[in-house]
Amino acid sequence: MSIAHAGAAVPREADDGGSSATQAIATRRRRGRTSHARRRTRMAGLLFAAPGLLIYAGVVLWPLVQSLQYSFYKWDGITAAVWVGFENYLSFFTDPILRSTLGNVLVLIVFFSLLPIALGLLSAALITTGKRRGMAIYRWIFFLPQVLTSVVIALLFKRMYAPEGPINEALRAIGLDALTKNWLGDFTWALPAVGLIGTWVTFGFCMVLFIAGASSISPELYEAARMDGAGPVREFFSVTLPGLRGQIAVALTLTITAALRAFDLIWITTRGGPGTSTLTPAVALYKAAFVNPDVGQAAAIGVVMAILCLIIAVVITRVSERE
Amino acid sequence: MSVRSEKIWNYVILTVMALIVLWPVGTFIAAALSPDRAGRPSADLQWGNFLTAWTNAEFAQSMTVSLTITVAVVIVGTVLALLGGYAFGVLGVVGDRVLFPLILLGMMISLEAIIVPLYYQFRSLGLTDNLLGVILIHVGMGVPFGVFWMRAAFRSLPRGIFESAEMDGAGPMRMLWSIAVPNLMPAVYTFILLSFMWTWNDYFLSLVFLHGDNQTATVALGVFQGRYVTQINLMAAGGLIVAAPVLILYVIFQRKFISGMLAGAIKE
Repeated sequence: MSIAHAGAAVPREADDGGSSATQAIATRRRRGRTSHARRRTRMAGLLFAAPGLLIYAGVVLWPLVQSLQYSFYKWDGITAAVWVGFENYLSFFTDPILRSTLGNVLVLIVFFSLLPIALGLLSAALITTGKRRGMAIYRWIFFLPQVLTSVVIALLFKRMYAPEGPINEALRAIGLDALTKNWLGDFTWALPAVGLIGTWVTFGFCMVLFIAGASSISPELYEAARMDGAGPVREFFSVTLPGLRGQIAVALTLTITAALRAFDLIWITTRGGPGTSTLTPAVALYKAAFVNPDVGQAAAIGVVMAILCLIIAVVITRVSERE
Repeated sequence: MSVRSEKIWNYVILTVMALIVLWPVGTFIAAALSPDRAGRPSADLQWGNFLTAWTNAEFAQSMTVSLTITVAVVIVGTVLALLGGYAFGVLGVVGDRVLFPLILLGMMISLEAIIVPLYYQFRSLGLTDNLLGVILIHVGMGVPFGVFWMRAAFRSLPRGIFESAEMDGAGPMRMLWSIAVPNLMPAVYTFILLSFMWTWNDYFLSLVFLHGDNQTATVALGVFQGRYVTQINLMAAGGLIVAAPVLILYVIFQRKFISGMLAGAIKE
């Protein structure tokens, strides 16, 4: 409620500021930096910021409030909506399909978050201790998946995982025919297979983040560790890892959030199937909003996702700052 | 001896990782150039696949739509980011104690949290299946990062240049365009690149809002691959066409992409 009010208040104040905006600087010159002149400059500032603030309020803040409102109704998108209280939220506990999406997210977190961070740390350590020729090329390659559009990434891996695709061919070539399968069509393997796409996409980003962080660790700490006779492995655990705590917190927040929000890759590769084995909250939201309209349920999924994202960000930041 | 072997192991591990990253991309490129419908690599390079994919998927139409949306979003978004960053970074804003946190909140709000009411509201306004609607949403969702990014850039400028301009009687508008902006071009270029990439690569928003003739290239590619499951080579060629604009920019401006995305992630 307060959010909507603040959004609506912007244009009114901006109008008041308009007439005095042009005079603000002249006034300031005459009287010096009085609080009156400063206020006029700040009014001009509001006028400058107003166009962006208005569009932002209309496209983001107002729909956010409406999402909350929608989530308390049952609505098929056409006939009249019916108030149902918290029913759409309770279905996270009562509806086994919706509940399973949260379990799938937990699995995806391993692949979208933990694995990329581990690989990112490893490759960052190798590249920074290297400091030799050619490291820029590795960085270019590892970061490449970050700029590819998700549709193309999904297609790359649809082909990799296809029954006659490169992965199965490689397995056959080394005589492991028994392991070949239709990876994305398999109830057990589809979710890890989709998860590994996330690992492939994310680890280069984590690596670049850690390289930037490692460059701000004081070289004296490394020298001290060397004096104590630490090898590269102990140096990594006693100097590099503690020095990267802030970057690891950022990486955890972004990647866990990405796992929770996974949509594009899954929609194009598996549509949440087979069965519901790769269904995520975002795919369930899309289906409820636009495929078999249960609009209130879709809004509730969106609200729950937003709250979870906020909680994840706050908790991780708090924990990383306290220690 | 041990330093030397450490060095070699570094290269070996990094190279193995690089090959794993490049494997899917390499086989995809090979498939796009293959005469074989199943996309098996072949020495006989079929550059004509790109042309066939281009015409079969009617990419001329969807690439134009994507380009229109992206250019509009980049231009409007950059102007709004400059105005907002200047206001919050230099002039100060009435009510910024409330407004600035509200803007930062926007960087954490995902599209999923707002897409449902957005769709039904825009439908009642006739803004679904309409490029203007999608441009508005991209611009609005881009405001938080834009203001945040440009505010930091403005604050890194020395205060002195504004004060001496003020003495010369320059108004806020002139100070922005003729004094601040020319000094900020590196930050502006990075913002343009990121904004281009995010808008061009978008899938979810276009999937929900645009259909038929208004499809963007990413959504058209999704439809195309569903229709051409048996012609892997054409599907791969289509994928490369859609990825090409951002890939070319990445080849040229690698450092700006990486530093911009890092700064956006850390936010401090």
